[in-house]
Amino acid sequence: MMLKAIIDADILRETIEAIAALVSECRLHIENDGFSMLAVDTANVAMVKAVLQKTAFQSYEAESCEIGVDITKLRNILGTPGKTDQVKIELDETRHKLELSFMGYKYSVALLDTNTIRKEPNEPNIELPAKIIVPGMELNNAIKASMLISDKIALGVDTQEKNGPFFFMHADGDTDQINKTFGPTEVQFVNPVDSRSLFSIDYLKDMGKIFGKSASVEVHLGTDHPVKFIFDMSNGNAHFIYLLAPRIEAD
Amino acid sequence: MGVDLRELVLPYKKEIALEELRGIAAVDAFNALFQFITIIRQPDGTPLMDKTGRVTSHLSGILFRTANLMEKGIKPLFIFDGTPPPFKEETVQMRRDGRALAETLHKEALARGDIEEAYKQARAASRIDSTIIASAKRLITLLGLPVVDAPSEGEAQAAYMTISGDVGYAVSQDYDTLLFGSPALVRNLTVSGKRKMHGRSITVNPEKIFLDDLLFGQKISREELIQIGILVGTDFNRGCYGIGVKTGIKIVKEGGYEKTLKEKMPDFDPVPVEQFFLHPPVTKDYSLEWKTPDFEGIRAMLCEEYDFGEERVNRALSGLGLKIGQKTLDSWF
Repeated sequence: MMLKAIIDADILRETIEAIAALVSECRLHIENDGFSMLAVDTANVAMVKAVLQKTAFQSYEAESCEIGVDITKLRNILGTPGKTDQVKIELDETRHKLELSFMGYKYSVALLDTNTIRKEPNEPNIELPAKIIVPGMELNNAIKASMLISDKIALGVDTQEKNGPFFFMHADGDTDQINKTFGPTEVQFVNPVDSRSLFSIDYLKDMGKIFGKSASVEVHLGTDHPVKFIFDMSNGNAHFIYLLAPRIEAD
Repeated sequence: MGVDLRELVLPYKKEIALEELRGIAAVDAFNALFQFITIIRQPDGTPLMDKTGRVTSHLSGILFRTANLMEKGIKPLFIFDGTPPPFKEETVQMRRDGRALAETLHKEALARGDIEEAYKQARAASRIDSTIIASAKRLITLLGLPVVDAPSEGEAQAAYMTISGDVGYAVSQDYDTLLFGSPALVRNLTVSGKRKMHGRSITVNPEKIFLDDLLFGQKISREELIQIGILVGTDFNRGCYGIGVKTGIKIVKEGGYEKTLKEKMPDFDPVPVEQFFLHPPVTKDYSLEWKTPDFEGIRAMLCEEYDFGEERVNRALSGLGLKIGQKTLDSWF
């Protein structure tokens, strides 16, 4: 079990924050081509997959292994270094610790027993026929706007409208409504297929904070099916997938 | 219950916020259930019950308290007692007698309309029977939390798992856990928050005690801590008449432990109790796997079988991340 790597604090922080949006701990796979992880949240409503490629690092040397990581603790620790600081990462296998050094500080963080972390699911292969590409910031802004009206939001694609297709977000509150549509000039319709599913804003807002920083987000949708968000950060060196189960429309 | 070492431990207790207790907590299940059954009661002392008269106070405690802990990033597991050692029989019988008396006094107080006394006696009459244990285990399992069956005392098993590093700390109200060698003990975890005591509302905060702080601070060894416990009295032996913690520590530090025992309790052999604290029966055969809560199973058990209000159960489940109408990814994995 060996790991010696140096990475920009900002890249590592973005990656850990993207994972922390859904889970507080995970099994991190260290391979010779980078890090990867896959986990579902406690309620089994949302899944996050993250891949941080070797090319994201200034230097990277590793042997394949799996470690248990307290993501919340790492996120808190990585709040300290500035954007341009570099973080040295080493694995102290004898003491079962992950060492993070930056700005003259050296943190030794206890690893978690991987047996006590919930098992990783198999990545589901779901048929989600509609596929569009949306600017991350626009998507996050629409989620934030919907939060003012309701705790759930419908996402979908409408191909029947004139001047369409449209990607729409619609939230119904007790007395108020909000509707936002994105036309062909604003988003890219890779597969414009009619679809509509309802989702919890609680989850979307945490995801939105993360993919809002990405230039573009691939959104995969179906009807009464989960939504999948695929996006990159750190110049394409960090790759993420969020999957979120729908709410029941009749609620 | 347990050994009364309050005075000894007091300087080393640190109040701690729930948020700082993230990690794996080995909960002494009997201790927690007893607290739930004792505290969660109606004003006249009657425990919460379903329509058929089955006690549900413990289920309420497990659901709401556990959901609260899990929201704060604490991963609880519950350890259930096994067979008590033979020298606990006297304590067990005394508790039985005490409960029987309290039951009689509770009925009498109710008959004369003395609600305050009825409440007090009802608490004293609290008992944990096999039905309560079975329903508690079922709910804990539905919540996706590990259940560990200790071969003997739950506190001993919790201490063993803390020493081995499999869990972060033991959770119990009983200081016995420290005598069993647990490096860290957290009290009040399952009852923290606002509580009514003697008619007043008080705030109970979790407190953490590190065994090393206590031993170093009092300049004693663990063996000496056990000796103090034995002089004062534990679940496994009566204490020496007239000896409290202050006298106990003085005697032990001055090397008068064996002499005092011979004088005060000539028929008592302390060795089996000492050995029980130092080398209790424990099991290594446990699986620490946290699973996704079975939300539908919890709703079905509590709302359909035990008459819990759906709204309350849904509120607790929502704290675990599942709102009404929210599907899980189960169907797609």
